[in-house]
Amino acid sequence: MTDLSTLDYIWLGILAVFQGPEAFSVFGLPVSITLMMVAFGLLLGLVVGATPGLGSVIAMAISLPILISIFGFSSDALLPVLGFLIGVMKGSTVGGAVPAILFNTPGTPDAYMTTLDGYPMAQSGKASKALRISHFSSVTGDTFSDIVLIICAPFLAILVESYLDLPEKTALLILSLSFIAAVVGGSAAKGLLSCGLGLLAVYIGTGEDFYPRLSFGTEALSDGISITAAVIGILVIGAIFIELEELWHQTRRTGSIEIAKDVGDQRLHWADIRRILPYIGRSALIGTAIGALPGIGSTLAATIGYATGARKHRQTKAPDDPAFGEGAPEGIAAAEAANSSVSGANLIPVLSLGIPGNTAAVFLILAADSIGGFNPGPAVFKFSTDLNPELVIAFGLFTTMIIANILNWTVGGVLMRWLGVLVRIPKQHLLPVVLLLTLASLYVQETAMSAVWFGFGFGVLGYFMRRFGISPLPFVIGFVLGGRLEATARQAFSATGGDPFFLLKSPIAALFIIGAVAVVYFSVRKPKAALK
Amino acid sequence: MQKLSANKALGLGCVVLGVVLAFIWIPLDSDTGLVERSRGRFVVGDSLAPTLAAAFILIAGMMLVFGRSDQDDKPNRDNLRFIGAMVGFGIISLLVMRWAGPMVASFFSGGEEYRILRDTVPWKYTGFVIGGILLVFSLICFVEERLSWRALLISIGAVVGIILLYDLPFDDVLLPPNGDV
Repeated sequence: MTDLSTLDYIWLGILAVFQGPEAFSVFGLPVSITLMMVAFGLLLGLVVGATPGLGSVIAMAISLPILISIFGFSSDALLPVLGFLIGVMKGSTVGGAVPAILFNTPGTPDAYMTTLDGYPMAQSGKASKALRISHFSSVTGDTFSDIVLIICAPFLAILVESYLDLPEKTALLILSLSFIAAVVGGSAAKGLLSCGLGLLAVYIGTGEDFYPRLSFGTEALSDGISITAAVIGILVIGAIFIELEELWHQTRRTGSIEIAKDVGDQRLHWADIRRILPYIGRSALIGTAIGALPGIGSTLAATIGYATGARKHRQTKAPDDPAFGEGAPEGIAAAEAANSSVSGANLIPVLSLGIPGNTAAVFLILAADSIGGFNPGPAVFKFSTDLNPELVIAFGLFTTMIIANILNWTVGGVLMRWLGVLVRIPKQHLLPVVLLLTLASLYVQETAMSAVWFGFGFGVLGYFMRRFGISPLPFVIGFVLGGRLEATARQAFSATGGDPFFLLKSPIAALFIIGAVAVVYFSVRKPKAALK
Repeated sequence: MQKLSANKALGLGCVVLGVVLAFIWIPLDSDTGLVERSRGRFVVGDSLAPTLAAAFILIAGMMLVFGRSDQDDKPNRDNLRFIGAMVGFGIISLLVMRWAGPMVASFFSGGEEYRILRDTVPWKYTGFVIGGILLVFSLICFVEERLSWRALLISIGAVVGIILLYDLPFDDVLLPPNGDV
């Protein structure tokens, strides 16, 4: 076999997507299953994004066992399954703006800032135009972020592999966990607690000894806690309980929902694009920079993007233009470009370091972990002259992201404008059904009632965490990274001949550890309610 | 005496949990300590990683106890009532899901064991249908604070939908609880 260059890997990744198993053909042209799954994922993402109370996390949690049942555990399953999840991620970012603009109800939390100008625009008869602006800004931001991901992730991974040995990798994992614990949510203490609980949970029933540690000698705990049960319980079931409780408290509206009729020209003209482009550019940069840091979500990006846009708009707007918060198209553009540009950049830590920075990345890891054959992390980007199948999958994944963006550009906008009807589905009917579907999905994946019980139990824990103002994300990331942290530390400790100070011996590792302490220290000193 | 804030109470709970973990649970429930000597070399024992988790919890607890915070989130009585109901409905429904099939089979299957019948119609649907309908119906009725035919229809529709989604297309997929009864 001939030696493989970087371009060969890129080409093989593209071919893996387009020449994979055929789903059907159009005019004699074969359409691969991966391509079809990206499109389905995007469609589902748009639907769940546009349905308040649902979201990409629920969609991914429910889809994963179905996808694994369909595609099995072979390496051929990786791209269709990951492509589907990518589609969901991208679709939901765009779809979240639909109810925000039409009904003043954000479909996803990060679409809240979109309501501020989107709804007033819809009220003044410009709903379709507002949706077009939102779509254009969202997809532009997302595309920009993906380009940054595709360029940065391999370089970062190569740097990590070249300069970091086992002690440095252990220290980097500790730094990442501290960073996530410190910046997610309103309090570093609560972030640290969440992370500690996640680590504790993942260490139950595992270890290298014959006796499964922390299991009380019981069979239920001796196999450890399934990652799917813990992640889905904390993230999905906990969130369902919170949503259901809000409905329980609410006096439910019985009247029909009014949508203002469109008045006048609703098209997006070049003049409109020129007007919003600077806001999109600024927000895309902000969102991408924020997204590249693990744990910081799109809601913060939307807030900062919107605030920055508002400051600029105050200085430059014509006297008769609406201000931010009164139906300014620039406001929609700033918010949507910022929250959408987080999604691609959020995958930089997971693909280059193996550290998930958000819930979508957690599900990509879960999928890759369940199917096997692809372990997101720096080792993926080994440009060896012999075939590295993981690298082909990585470039295949980038290809699916580009395809999802192209679909979002072409059909996403049209679909988006049809989805307003979804806000009429009563959440009090939808959420219990989603709960049962989630529990059934858990069972299908794990084939054990204990997984369902664990999932339910973690859901209750997730509920209490939220009620105490503790973000569940550090828990999940602690759970996902806990095993790797221990394995790397064990290897590093052995490799350094049992040196108890192995984390402080190399300057880079010491720097990471100092960084881990510093990030917690400074976040304790400075209240960060804004990061919520 | 000054009333303890929720954050400080949570912090104290975490300190206690961290101490119990580090000094009682982990040492008593793990085979090896923090570091062990094996074949003349020092290796990391099974207790080290959980002790790190305990340290996280302990430090977090101390930060909550001694730190200052503007937010003092805590569940109120209404929250506890709600989650109590959710837990109650959930546990009952899951128990019904687990045991309804074997119970119905013991009465109507003519002495056949449920384990043998669990992949045959109608037995394989019994637990999931009864438990699933109970779960969805009870949650909708609780949230709406009224019983309704609509809730029952939605519950039935949901269960049928999930069967169509998971059971009919895949031969190797088993609905709860049939995989491990």
